[in-house]
Amino acid sequence: MAPRAGRSVAVRQFHRGSLRVLRPHYLDASGQVTYAVVNPGGGYLDGDRYRTTLVLEPGADLLLTTQSATKVYRSPRDHTLQETDVHLGPDSRLEYLPDQLIAYRDARYDQVTRVAMEPSTSLVLADLVTPGWSPTGEPFRYDRVRLRTHVSMAGRPVVVDNLLLEPGAHGLDGLGFFEGYTHVGSLLMIDPRADDAALADVRALLTERSSHLRAGATATPVPGMALRVLGRSTPEVSEAIEAVVNLLRERWFGQGAVNLRKY
Amino acid sequence: MCDSALPTGAFAHTFGMETYLQRGTVHDEATFQEWLAQFVDHQLVYADGLAVRLAAESCAAPGSGSGSGPGKDPRAGIDFLIELDALMYAQALPSQVRQAGLTMGKRLLDIGRLSLPGPCLESYAAQADAGTCHGHQAIAFGLIGTDHGVPATSLVSAYLFSTVTALMQNAVRGIPIGQNAGQRVLGDMRSHVTRAEQQIHELTLDDLGAVSPGLEIAQMQHENQRARMFMS
Repeated sequence: MAPRAGRSVAVRQFHRGSLRVLRPHYLDASGQVTYAVVNPGGGYLDGDRYRTTLVLEPGADLLLTTQSATKVYRSPRDHTLQETDVHLGPDSRLEYLPDQLIAYRDARYDQVTRVAMEPSTSLVLADLVTPGWSPTGEPFRYDRVRLRTHVSMAGRPVVVDNLLLEPGAHGLDGLGFFEGYTHVGSLLMIDPRADDAALADVRALLTERSSHLRAGATATPVPGMALRVLGRSTPEVSEAIEAVVNLLRERWFGQGAVNLRKY
Repeated sequence: MCDSALPTGAFAHTFGMETYLQRGTVHDEATFQEWLAQFVDHQLVYADGLAVRLAAESCAAPGSGSGSGPGKDPRAGIDFLIELDALMYAQALPSQVRQAGLTMGKRLLDIGRLSLPGPCLESYAAQADAGTCHGHQAIAFGLIGTDHGVPATSLVSAYLFSTVTALMQNAVRGIPIGQNAGQRVLGDMRSHVTRAEQQIHELTLDDLGAVSPGLEIAQMQHENQRARMFMS
């Protein structure tokens, strides 16, 4: 991605295998380009390897989403790996707001996201993991879901988020895990404008939702914040994540709420 | 080094247990032990426990202390320690947990230099002085032990057990539970720590910092809890 005459555009684009991107959209007048990733196969199969590389040149501005939920089918022999490498040039901005993950019974899914960024870069990364799908409707019947995000700034690791969900024999309902909730959302926002006042406002949004969500927010080692949200449905958790994203979009970019038209 | 009275400040940290205390989820011996087992299995193992092992192995390996140049084990030497130190700092998302590792790390570096000096610890402490490293407690612990000939497996068990002991003492004061109840929990945790040490043996650097969501949210929420007795 690179800025050209006030709008961000893809200067080079390449795909092979089953991942595609839809044609770009401009959802507002900011020049930010929006792309949606599509998996025409419908879901990830055992042994599948997916790799996405994103390069944002200085000043580029990208909102990346998915066309629909990511489904991971059962992995009786191997596992499914989704690797994403992101390179963010100075003053670029990436908002990555994918749909929810649905891991089927016996699925093993590893997601590795590596972001190399600069102090002037703005990054928003979200994830939402559902209790998955099983024929009996029982939650947490997948074998393993691991979401590992590694952010480095000027070559040094600054944030490592390593969420590991392995139901095993004891399930995931108990103390320390889902504690009676079923869905987990994560949001990482790294931005040079992040400060204590922004964190306090984000916490206030989470407190307003504390009757149906359990959530925490904290400051990251570099200016930014990390959120973890437990809830009981995809709309509840994604509403909270979007509320936080929208608050900071308005505050830092004077931009309106995200309106992801799904097509 | 494993004395719970070692002045590193462990008495001030519950790593989110106080949030469960305030919610009423942890309120007696049984519920404390449940939390403690979860904390050991789903956070301590993947963070501090693994860091003790990796730090100890990096210093015990041949070629350590002189950088990881071509042909040398990439898991050895000061370059690896600098990387491990940065990862330990980066993986602790809740800021109070990050701060705890740092404050106790600084204390342990000082104590180690005073009473148990050695080459591994000194090269790490020098990086911390220079600002190249943050100085983490688990790494300092692994290095002090290696300097004095303690094998990595024993160091991991010792670190886990002394952390469990410090948390038990905080539970005795904070919940509160009786001293005998605290000792019973420690007795039960002994086999648990052995299993945790075996699990750590199988992990790699990619596992560092794996965490479960509930524990982490409690650690984040502790930051704006009113009337707290502990710093984490």
